Amino acid sequence: MREFSKGQKIKVKSGGELEVIEKLGEGGQGIVYRVSYNGKEYALKWYFVNKLKDHKRFYMNIENNIRKGAPTSAFLWPVEITEYFEGSFGYLMRLRPKEYEDFSKFLRAKVHFSGINAVINAALQITTGFRVLHNKGFSYQDLNDGNFFVNADTGDVLICDNDNVAEYGKAFGIAGKCRYMAPEVVTGKKKPDIHTDRFSLAVVLYMLIFVNHPLEGERTLKSPCLTEELERKFYGIEPVFVFDKNNPQNRPVENLHRNEIKLWSLYPDFVKEAFQEAFSRESMIGNNIEHRVTEKKWQEIFIKLRDCLAECPSCNNETFLNLSQPESKCICCGKVITNPFVLKVKKNEIALMPSKKIYACHVIYDSEDYNQAMGEVVLSRSVPAVAGLKNNSGRAWTAVASNGVSKSYESGQVIKLMKGLKIRFGNDNDGEIL
Amino acid sequence: MGLYDETVEVPRRTMVLFFVVDTSGSMNGSKIGTVNSAIEDIIPEIADISDSNADAQIKIAALQFSTGAKWLDSQPVSAENFVWNYLDASGVTDLGEACLQLNEKLSRTAFMNDATGSFAPAIFLMSDGEPTDNYRYGLDKLKQNNWFRKAIKVAIAIGEDANKNVLAEFAGNSEAVIDVTSPKELRKWIQFVTVRASEIGSKSSNAGSNSDSGSNEIETKQDIMIQEIQSQKDDIEWKEENPFEDDDSLQW
Repeated sequence: MREFSKGQKIKVKSGGELEVIEKLGEGGQGIVYRVSYNGKEYALKWYFVNKLKDHKRFYMNIENNIRKGAPTSAFLWPVEITEYFEGSFGYLMRLRPKEYEDFSKFLRAKVHFSGINAVINAALQITTGFRVLHNKGFSYQDLNDGNFFVNADTGDVLICDNDNVAEYGKAFGIAGKCRYMAPEVVTGKKKPDIHTDRFSLAVVLYMLIFVNHPLEGERTLKSPCLTEELERKFYGIEPVFVFDKNNPQNRPVENLHRNEIKLWSLYPDFVKEAFQEAFSRESMIGNNIEHRVTEKKWQEIFIKLRDCLAECPSCNNETFLNLSQPESKCICCGKVITNPFVLKVKKNEIALMPSKKIYACHVIYDSEDYNQAMGEVVLSRSVPAVAGLKNNSGRAWTAVASNGVSKSYESGQVIKLMKGLKIRFGNDNDGEIL
Repeated sequence: MGLYDETVEVPRRTMVLFFVVDTSGSMNGSKIGTVNSAIEDIIPEIADISDSNADAQIKIAALQFSTGAKWLDSQPVSAENFVWNYLDASGVTDLGEACLQLNEKLSRTAFMNDATGSFAPAIFLMSDGEPTDNYRYGLDKLKQNNWFRKAIKVAIAIGEDANKNVLAEFAGNSEAVIDVTSPKELRKWIQFVTVRASEIGSKSSNAGSNSDSGSNEIETKQDIMIQEIQSQKDDIEWKEENPFEDDDSLQW
């Protein structure tokens, strides 16, 4: 197949022609070009048609995905497909903005997250993307370090290579990388589906947060040559999590797996326990492979993690507060921090440090939206030691003091924080200041 | 200072790409010239593949053989730092000696000594002639080396005089031997094999999960490489070119 040069025109199925501007890159499956179509610029992925096992079926699958539309805006989803041209075809998607970097660059330590907040945001966005995708009846099938991009400052995520996405029960036999595949896919017992996606998601989340591979430690390092047979063993037949609760044979190696050794010691237990469950023998190769940690559970964990994230008053770095205790220790400078007021609402406990935001998932009784801020902790301008919760929700909240006196606060007004105060957010969703 | 400012690279394995180049007298002229420029030009692409790959880094080692065999560097060099020094051609074709030298370096105490471990190497042999030494002894020895056995192995037979049987024995399969008859073809194949062997060799494999046979046999990286060579041989665009168009300018 020839490479297109600038000015090459190709018919788009829904009408009109695209025009090639330049080549952006090449992968195992095809070439990506920057093109213009209907006055806008897009990325065109053009296939090596001989690399597709059943290109007609593949074409129809992409058409179907275009019809169904992107699950969330985090997906660089196919928006148009071309007609067959010189025996092959391609699809159009949004161009990736340049502030988004390959995830592999984070793993290569060429790019670093701005901080924990960005990491949590990235984890939430990937998790949500997969949750919506799965709820729509799709599975992704081939999640690995090559198919998502992350903004290091904000943690915003773009998921690409959505051409392999297929509806429940369909699979395309993707030539994936077993470092990221579920054990039962590695061993060939199963084709990729939602359950195997969940395993790959856990691998990616672990690598995002702890910046090492969950199954690579002392045991895997002992093999000087990682052959295909050994890959099948380490990722398929007998995978062992580096922090497995019961099996210590694959622990991280000092001076080599430095990131996870450091970061694991700093993250709260509820995060670590979730990964220990996701990579338990039961969940990897035992009876729980169809009951792996769900996206919903990961979402709850990362929202909880964000709720207890605070800035240390001494060193100004991010730290986690242990809200079950009256005080916490900064993970950075080690100084003791007196815990601030805590808002308990639904299942959440939010550390009300200055500038901390609360979100729709906290204040709206049936919302899971963790993105839309609804309130923020502010300090009084006249008495800076006094903190309040500013209502930015667009509706009135009612504060009820411990003596029963109540007052309504419109959007834009600030409720002074007091221990024992109840805040009625509406629809029987009541919060309490602890 | 952020908690993530000081993260270090996730340990990568190493994949060594070996060029084993016949520099006997018959390679002199446009053959060795094409080999030199094709490899020199493709190295930056290999450096890019290595740089963007979180699974493994790529290192390069080159062995030339004619009268005797000689390594170009004392250790494999990372693709980013590798410089191709132009080879000259003279002497006989001591393939057996090359096999012995390769066997010696394919060892954890020699070239395969990375602390973070390796993937199996990719070994790329180019030759235009008949071995002049006792190649059988060296090749048999090499074939018992486990690194060699697990490696991706490809050979290019340059011109009509190359002994394809010996090359097939080296590569383990006649389908892993590529015949070329023009400098243009030679250049294309060198670059294709270098890139694809590097990509396949340096990435975590699918460990056979993609095999349709339903059997428990693992589709190896070598199998995938051979499939790619076959499909490239079938590629219309490559076929359409007249392999003889350079004939007038050739002297070999």
